[in-house]
Amino acid sequence: MSALGILCANAWREQVRGRFFSVTLIFGGLMLYMSVLLGMLASDQEVRVLLDFGLSFIDVLAAAAVTFAAATGLVREMETKTLYLILSRPVPRSVYLLGRYLGLLLSALTAVLAMAVVHVSILLFKGWHWEAGYLLALAGVGLKLAVTAAVATLLTMISTSVLSALCLTGISWMLGHFVFEIRFMATQALAGASAKALYVMAYVVPNLQLFNFRDRLGIPDATGGGVSFLFALSYCLVYSAACLGGAWGIFRRREF
Amino acid sequence: MPPALSFDKVTKTYLRSHLGMVTATRGVSELSLEVAEGEVFGLLGLNGNGKTTTMKLALGLLRPTSGSVRVFGREPGSMEALGSVGYLPELPSYYPYLTPRESLAYYARLSGVPKAGLEGRIDEVLRSVGLEKAAKRSAGEFSKGMLQRLGLAQALLHQPKLILLDEPVSGLDPLAIHDVRELLLRINRAGSTLLLSSHSISDVERLCSRVGILVEGKLVRVLSQPDWSAQGGLEKIFVDTVRPAA
Repeated sequence: MSALGILCANAWREQVRGRFFSVTLIFGGLMLYMSVLLGMLASDQEVRVLLDFGLSFIDVLAAAAVTFAAATGLVREMETKTLYLILSRPVPRSVYLLGRYLGLLLSALTAVLAMAVVHVSILLFKGWHWEAGYLLALAGVGLKLAVTAAVATLLTMISTSVLSALCLTGISWMLGHFVFEIRFMATQALAGASAKALYVMAYVVPNLQLFNFRDRLGIPDATGGGVSFLFALSYCLVYSAACLGGAWGIFRRREF
Repeated sequence: MPPALSFDKVTKTYLRSHLGMVTATRGVSELSLEVAEGEVFGLLGLNGNGKTTTMKLALGLLRPTSGSVRVFGREPGSMEALGSVGYLPELPSYYPYLTPRESLAYYARLSGVPKAGLEGRIDEVLRSVGLEKAAKRSAGEFSKGMLQRLGLAQALLHQPKLILLDEPVSGLDPLAIHDVRELLLRINRAGSTLLLSSHSISDVERLCSRVGILVEGKLVRVLSQPDWSAQGGLEKIFVDTVRPAA
């Protein structure tokens, strides 16, 4: 196995054996149970409510897990000096950063998969008929996680504390769900600094709306899923690469 | 043949910014030193006098503000230089969820140790640092002394040509200190170059062929074994050297 694979496997193991991962899964289970209760309130739309809330909970919890892991992991490695033991070996810093990122992403995807198994079981129990679109929705969650983890990695490099990295990632994640609205506001804003700021914001924050394939579920004649997915995948790759490239630019000059 | 480690007029200044105020602190100043292959060189100095900075400069974890550092003639931090170096940081910690065996396998593979023969090498290193009985316990349960032994094991694992040891006997009991000293001498006899820093003057005296004394980041004295034997011992020289500045 290459150094990248070794670092990735260790970051995955670190997360999966960590307390935060277990808490995420327990919390995920509770949230999915909550969605069953909410489904009962909408008796004629129970499955739809279960689908939407379940996937949303999975999305939010996995994003929280990956953000927390990305923001705290590197700082912890510096504080405990485990980072010194890696960087004093013939491991390029770019490989370390990428290995860590992929490991975090893999652990978040593991959590998504575990929660999805529970979610699908509940849905099938409630009479839902399997749709391949569910996998597309999960893939959308995965792409969104890839972007979120890359943003968190970059912001961890820029920020002066774990808290500020967490807050900034959280803000960018929230804004990322309103990119089209921000663009609309920018077109409506009067000329000047506020319009420019909105334009910049609309194109700098990640457009997480592209990864929402959840809304297609249950719509029999929904078309263009494949094209949208390819576009979302390309966007995810380019945006994540840009963030990781920026993070590496800072990390390779950093002194310890 | 280039020396194992060379510092040429190296100065490291730390710049720290807080609320717009930038303060500069000298880590090391005009440090010039050569450590020959096969040598055991000791760095002595009070806390904050530049011992750890010197080691980090040799690893490329810090970059010199001026001057140059070379490891076997190569840029510190380059893959070629790092491939020939082992490092024990002061008070290191390890992934608490890994056993020593798992930790060592992880670091060995990052150092490029081939998979074939890895288990045997891990057994050998665990035995040499006295951790063979604790090989299956997780590092989270380890005492300070056991962590220090694990630190030594990871630094020696890939049989580096140059080993940098920051306080190698810190936290060890007297018997372990004796064992570690014997182990380091064995490793040196096998051909490795050692640069170590320690507050234990008696250990430095017994291990090292040359010693440098750092005072406020400056290498004020470099002594060889006959020097300190002729001048009443290393402790006296050390105290006389650092006392005026302390």
